Amino acid sequence: MAAAVQTLDGHEAVAARYHDVDPVYAETRDLRLTGFVLFLLSDCVLFASFIFAYVYLRVSAPVWPPFIGGHQLPWFDTSFAAFNSIVLFGSGVTMHFALENWKHLNKRKFNLWLIATIVLGIGFLLGQAHEYSVVGISWSGSTMGASFFTLTGMHGFHVFIGVCYLTILAFQANRGVYTGSKYFGLTAGTLYWHFVDVVWVALFFLFYLW
Amino acid sequence: MNEVLIERGAALAGAIVVGVTAIFQLKNDWAAKGVDALVTKILLGLMAAGCVLALLAAVNVLGARAS
Repeated sequence: MAAAVQTLDGHEAVAARYHDVDPVYAETRDLRLTGFVLFLLSDCVLFASFIFAYVYLRVSAPVWPPFIGGHQLPWFDTSFAAFNSIVLFGSGVTMHFALENWKHLNKRKFNLWLIATIVLGIGFLLGQAHEYSVVGISWSGSTMGASFFTLTGMHGFHVFIGVCYLTILAFQANRGVYTGSKYFGLTAGTLYWHFVDVVWVALFFLFYLW
Repeated sequence: MNEVLIERGAALAGAIVVGVTAIFQLKNDWAAKGVDALVTKILLGLMAAGCVLALLAAVNVLGARAS
């Protein structure tokens, strides 16, 4: 099988190597993948609950942003949010490149793209911290602030966990935990990071563009 | 230069680069099979949509009231 894999290119080579594993791993890999996708779906439900609460609060408010103490609360800063969003979306692309390079057995490029992903993830978190410091509203002062800090805080926590997760994956990958045919952890890490990106698409639209 | 202009310029350039790369990756992975590939394709597509939103925000078409 290994000789046959050598003659293939691109997706065919990756698919052949991916299936050239022991049957026990193949079976548990599919189960793990299903379990991980279910975990992502459960996280979708969690975010959807808070998003619908925010939408309800917003559409039922007589005026938005609400008035507190006779003053209308400010809109959020769209330009900085757009920049910070691109930092996060860019990290999704670099993570995708990292996994592709691992599949094609290019460990050096895998490491570079994975480090780029971690750096961009940290950059997004720093941008979020900056936004919190200048946003001009508080968590407890209004439904707008409560929704904003709850949803973006929960998302930021997911990004933080993702950064920790990717750092652990980087150490594991360089200690030989994963091979060219056994890399479920890396696949799960990539799916998780893409999920975090996509949740931010929804939050970016709801808080900054709607 | 105005800070807002720098942010919008960076967001515009980034949105184009990241969005085009995401679409290109989506096209490359279109033939890949399996649950992980399917989920990746959906998430890459949504991320490309996010890039379009960021691009529209950067050129003041969406969310123009803020600044």
